[in-house]
Amino acid sequence: MKIIVAIKQVPERDAQIRVDAAAHWIDEVGLQWALNESDAYALEEALQLKEKHGGEVIVLTAGPERVGPTIREALAKGADRAIHVDCGDLGARDALGVARLLAAAARPEAADLLLTGLQSDDLGQGQTGVIVAELLGLPHATLILHVEKTDNGLSVKRELEEGWFQQIELPTPAVLTVQSGGSKLRYATLMGIKRAKMKEVRTVTAAELGVDAAPVAVLERVALPQKQKSTQILPGSPKEAAAALVEKLKFEARVL
Amino acid sequence: MFAFHLQLAEPPAFSLLEKVLVAALTLTSGSLFWRRFRVVLGKILQSKKDPGFSIFPLGRRVADFLWEVVFQVKVIRQRPLPGLAHAAVFWGFCAFALVTLNHFAVGMGFGFLSPEGWFGQFYFDVAAAFALACALGILALFVRRFLVRPGWLGKKLSYESGFIAFLIFVLMATYLAGFFVAEAGAGARALWWAHTLALLTFLPIIPHTKHLHLVLSPATVFLSRGGFSAIPPLAGDEDFGLVSGQDLTRLVTLQAYSCVECGRCTEHCPAANTGKLLNPKEVILNLRSYLNEFGPASEKPLVESLAAPEVPFQCTTCGACEYQCPVGIEHLPILVGLRRGAVNTGEWDDEYGSKLFLGLERGSNPLGIPAAERDKFIQKAGLPFFDGTQEYCLWLGCMGAYDPKGREIVTDLARVLDHLGVTYGVLRKEKCTGDAARRLGNDLVFQQLAEANLEAMAQSEVKKVLSICPHCVRTMRQDWKEFGAPPEAEHHSEFLARVADRLPKQPKEETIVYHDPCYLGRYRDVYEEPRTVVRAAGQLVEAPRSHERSFCCGAGGGLAFLGEETGERVSKVRTAELVATGAATIGTACPFCNSMFRDALAEQGEGAPQLLDIAQLTARALPQSPAS
Repeated sequence: MKIIVAIKQVPERDAQIRVDAAAHWIDEVGLQWALNESDAYALEEALQLKEKHGGEVIVLTAGPERVGPTIREALAKGADRAIHVDCGDLGARDALGVARLLAAAARPEAADLLLTGLQSDDLGQGQTGVIVAELLGLPHATLILHVEKTDNGLSVKRELEEGWFQQIELPTPAVLTVQSGGSKLRYATLMGIKRAKMKEVRTVTAAELGVDAAPVAVLERVALPQKQKSTQILPGSPKEAAAALVEKLKFEARVL
Repeated sequence: MFAFHLQLAEPPAFSLLEKVLVAALTLTSGSLFWRRFRVVLGKILQSKKDPGFSIFPLGRRVADFLWEVVFQVKVIRQRPLPGLAHAAVFWGFCAFALVTLNHFAVGMGFGFLSPEGWFGQFYFDVAAAFALACALGILALFVRRFLVRPGWLGKKLSYESGFIAFLIFVLMATYLAGFFVAEAGAGARALWWAHTLALLTFLPIIPHTKHLHLVLSPATVFLSRGGFSAIPPLAGDEDFGLVSGQDLTRLVTLQAYSCVECGRCTEHCPAANTGKLLNPKEVILNLRSYLNEFGPASEKPLVESLAAPEVPFQCTTCGACEYQCPVGIEHLPILVGLRRGAVNTGEWDDEYGSKLFLGLERGSNPLGIPAAERDKFIQKAGLPFFDGTQEYCLWLGCMGAYDPKGREIVTDLARVLDHLGVTYGVLRKEKCTGDAARRLGNDLVFQQLAEANLEAMAQSEVKKVLSICPHCVRTMRQDWKEFGAPPEAEHHSEFLARVADRLPKQPKEETIVYHDPCYLGRYRDVYEEPRTVVRAAGQLVEAPRSHERSFCCGAGGGLAFLGEETGERVSKVRTAELVATGAATIGTACPFCNSMFRDALAEQGEGAPQLLDIAQLTARALPQSPAS
């Protein structure tokens, strides 16, 4: 089974994010980067499929030079080779623009399966994987927790809302966007990193792929969420106050 | 007939036949010794060279050799009575070296020490005193091993040990008897032969038994890596720690063959004492069996032969074993080496371990709490940021930044610093020092953390670090050195002891039992400074096991971040011991010990002693600042 895993490098979970001067993107100076969480689960799913059925896992990513360590990490965890679409203007591209890059790089590989995270931890649009599928003309499914290879293709478990799951069948080739938490991730090892040094990383540029940057959707402004803190004291007897609290949790906060 | 003479009786001249017999027997005995010893020596030399090993500086080695081998200090101090008995045997052997040489020379007809000459007479008399002590010593050791046998020696009686004791006793008795028989008589001749035969029987037994330590352990002590839990660097692209025989280094093999099976390591091991599978003595003996069976070139995995896969991960890295070992075995590099072998190759699969490593990979702290919580704490506690102008960088560590009690300790230390007018600041961002990753054998994560920290500290121009955590301090001072020059790191006990005179006096009624953290005591030899701080706050009470014999709290070696332990909780055992001292307060100097005791004390309910860090013991005497 030949599997491509499209991954993204995003700011580290604990990074202190600052908006850049033009308010169009975040200030990348001094930021530390990590592999997007749901992409890590997509990679894990791919590695487990390879361990069971054999084949090849190829990681695919778009981004500037700084994505190098994230590619190495994926190779260290067990991917066989990598394709790096070198582009410094990721922030200026919309989901369609990025998907075009990924699809163009993935097409010649003619893989059986393309996996990616369900959304990125930075922009969180959840679009890229689905658009790649459309561009490649492949069937796709989202929010996948588990993938199993069957005689005719794939059987996958999707997470729906309110604790519901859906089991569906797909032919291959296909594109799946993977939800976090479906499997147990493996940690990177020294042995993996040393072996990764010998693995192939092929770099291509957007120009070589013939994809331009003109976005369809433009990011107008990036802003940090406004912090708000307000305290309400609910009057009345404990019983009344509790009832009022439940009311608020149900209809205002919508957590019940 | 058997009158005592001050002069040793020597046998008359030997016949040619006797001389040939002596020579033949000596040659046989010597070659039997060599036949086995050559194999052991071969295994040591076939093992991989130790990366990063240097014989220099020699001063430390000579000092260790004198202290541990010649003066037998470790042997005696840790177990005074058997230790003295052992020292008597050892010193007897040393004094006997010249006597033995002369003994064989006499047999061949050119003895060089004459019982009549002044030196000969003097030396034989001195040797007699040693021989007497040695005979009594070996008798005492025999009684202990076979009649009053302590539990940690295990159940299996070693008859070869009994036989060796008998031979040593015969050696001494036949020598001493020489002072009671007539010169050049038949008695002297019989004694000479009895002495010779005992010696020639003893020699070939040595390399087949634990008595090999006679030959090896002086070298083991002299050549040891030194320091404490010195984890060697990995060499080249194929070194992942102890995976198979090929990863065993010369020092490890030498140490395995040096073990004298005294069981001190297991006697003091917190894991072995709380019903876990880990038994450090067994690990070393299994290593020796592995070497005997497969040798140092084998590709057979070490882990099943030495211990079940989970066993190395039961070690708290408290180092009681390594500290106690009288023959220079360094258990921690071996146990951590096995962990490295399992983690660096991805063999170790543990839910908590994977979660910890994944968190650390992603730049999170070992507790897995968002860094924003640290920022909030710094803001709330009003801690200043380090800007390069202050004297100290106050290092929070995960416990100081995220743990409620750890935060109290940091805040109290900050109050002391403020009171003294000592300037300090905290870093805007901290990464874990990598202590847990290091001890759990994850070299990849440890190296990433060490390098990132070294770079961040150099950028912030940090010169002096002050920390409430002995684990952070040890890791910075010792383990980071592999990747650069760390700043000067100090534990708050050292700082507080230095400024104790400048702090308000406290009444001395309260009894405080102080618990030595492993990473401050055994790892760094800091015993007195925290006690100075405790004495300033009350009346110091010593726990039954204290100083270098302190019993672990159970948190070290990354175990604080792993799941529930098997058997009894180490923390429970130690807490019960501290509570039993009747002290009103338990004084700690490590936030991990503190958190372990906190949990164990919670079970005690009402009437449990209070639990305070030395920083809290100090700060409570300060006038309350108006802001708080």
